[in-house]
Amino acid sequence: MLRNTRRETLVALVLISPFLAIYGLTFVYPTVAMVNLSFTDAPLIGPGQWVGLDNYTRLAGERRFDTAFWNTAYFVALSVIPGTFVAMVIALGVSRLTGRMQALVLALFFLPYILPVSVVYRLWDWTLNFQFGIAMYVFDIWGIERVPIFKTTTWFMPAVAFVTIWWTCGFSILLFLAGLRAIPAEIYEAASLDNTGRWTMFRRITWPLLWPVTALVTTIQLILQLKIFDQVYLFSTGGRPNDNLVLVYYIFQRAFVNNQGGRAAAIAVVLFLIVVIVSVLNFQLMRLAERRK
Amino acid sequence: MAEIILDKVSKSFGSVRVINEVSLTIQSGEFVVFLGPSGSGKSTLLRMIAGLETIDDGRLLIGGKESQTLPPGQRNVAMVFQNYALYPHMTVRDNMAFGLRNIKMAAPEVERRVQDAARMLEMDALLDRRPSELSGGQRQRVAIGRAIVKEPAAFLFDEPLSNLDAALRVRTRVELAELHQRMNSTMIYVTHDQTEAMTMSDRIVILNDCRIEQIGTPMEVYTRPASRFVAGFIGSPSMNFLKGSYKDGAMTLLDGSRIAARVAVPEADTYELGIRPEAVKVCEGEGEGDTKGQVKVVEHLGERTLVHVHLSDGSAIVAQDGGRSPVQPGDEVALRFDISELHLFDASGKAWHAE
Repeated sequence: MLRNTRRETLVALVLISPFLAIYGLTFVYPTVAMVNLSFTDAPLIGPGQWVGLDNYTRLAGERRFDTAFWNTAYFVALSVIPGTFVAMVIALGVSRLTGRMQALVLALFFLPYILPVSVVYRLWDWTLNFQFGIAMYVFDIWGIERVPIFKTTTWFMPAVAFVTIWWTCGFSILLFLAGLRAIPAEIYEAASLDNTGRWTMFRRITWPLLWPVTALVTTIQLILQLKIFDQVYLFSTGGRPNDNLVLVYYIFQRAFVNNQGGRAAAIAVVLFLIVVIVSVLNFQLMRLAERRK
Repeated sequence: MAEIILDKVSKSFGSVRVINEVSLTIQSGEFVVFLGPSGSGKSTLLRMIAGLETIDDGRLLIGGKESQTLPPGQRNVAMVFQNYALYPHMTVRDNMAFGLRNIKMAAPEVERRVQDAARMLEMDALLDRRPSELSGGQRQRVAIGRAIVKEPAAFLFDEPLSNLDAALRVRTRVELAELHQRMNSTMIYVTHDQTEAMTMSDRIVILNDCRIEQIGTPMEVYTRPASRFVAGFIGSPSMNFLKGSYKDGAMTLLDGSRIAARVAVPEADTYELGIRPEAVKVCEGEGEGDTKGQVKVVEHLGERTLVHVHLSDGSAIVAQDGGRSPVQPGDEVALRFDISELHLFDASGKAWHAE
């Protein structure tokens, strides 16, 4: 059949134009506007004076930005790799089950993922609260001294990371399970005829074949966890928000507490660049590692 | 090289019996084909020998060693899978060496075996490639190479040619037969393709409905099928079956024609007469055949012609004629049966052959 390519291009453009319009209005324009904003001293609402790179240069020596940056890095380190590891171990376990039992166990592990963050906060506050948390009564029975987990800097980030892993690993488990199912049973059968022990089976067959999924999961987790805000905000209410500052929280403080839209935008641009660089780097490095193997 | 003995082995999936008390002895160095329609249990039987399916009851001896409870790796057998089951993340060399390294074989010996196998299968140049960079036929070779390097007691093939195109299948068939002659090792080969079974095997084991129907050389199962199932399953085009009754050395067919049959059946009864197309000839002159009918379809195959004829009672029969057959659809033709190649089958499917 002969086709009129120009006509087809036109039809294609008409069909994607609603998407393009919404995408431009809600993503491209705000992004450009934010970058513009970061070069001004604008308050939260209304325009400001052009100040060049001032907002960026000020970040360098700022103590709160420093805290936020390192806390975010610490949180990512505590949540991404352990979270991926935990999800993989659970997926390996779940994949050994069959039928309804598998569906049930998978549902139980996935359940936390559907909870809103406020419910997650409530659940874990009830559990770990210094005064009336259930865990504290258990501590009492065992004769361990109570720990104000969300009020101590040492415990705050590890505890939030733990809760985050509990909350979000259901999705990673699903991805890993899909990856495991994509490995043909015949490969395991061939390996068993090749005298492969259980550990070798994991190290030489399952792990390398699951590597693309692992790369995907860590990248998704990285992007997600670099943007940590809600959990830290909720768990630090009544605590020490300035010690537990993370980047998005700091943006929130600058914009909505200090009424400094320009300076908040500068931090947002920095975070945006960090997310892009780190996630692209991570994904490419993992692909490179795969090729080298 | 080793003898494989199955002694009353059985297998069930849940409440469904898939292998029922099968006994079979495979000689050392023999090429045996398990042939049967899908669902006949042939693949299950092979997987039970490999150790990929458990044996519920009975004994399995590989080279005289009780093996029914051994894990797959310790049975000293190698298997070539239908989809090759190569390790996609390893090079051809690593695919072949993987099993040897797992048993801690010395590196120089591993390399020697891999090189030998690669030379034998003419794939030296492929050793550093990944399976994804190979064609279907090349993958097939790697799968065979992975089996060869183990120098196993027996090779197990699970429909290894079914994923290849027709031309490659014929070539690989010949290569496998050559490989068997060169290595002189025990091979068990599962297929539903009777051409593969007939051309490659020393003996064919025909399975149907969870049990063995017949064990014999290709010519035995072709000329003296033990049952109606075997008679219908082996041969292409398949055997003609005509209902009739036997009495005093002759079969009377439904169209009234009488055919002399020197068959030692125990009693006069209704039987099914079986005769292969090549034993049914189209007669030149009128009135000298055993029966007659009208030609419906003529298939010219070059060196021979298949003539589909409907007898007067409506039953269909395929006759074979020479390559330059003048027969046309619609012709009335007389057919002559070669009575030395007659078979009779009773209601239970049991066969009697012409003497």
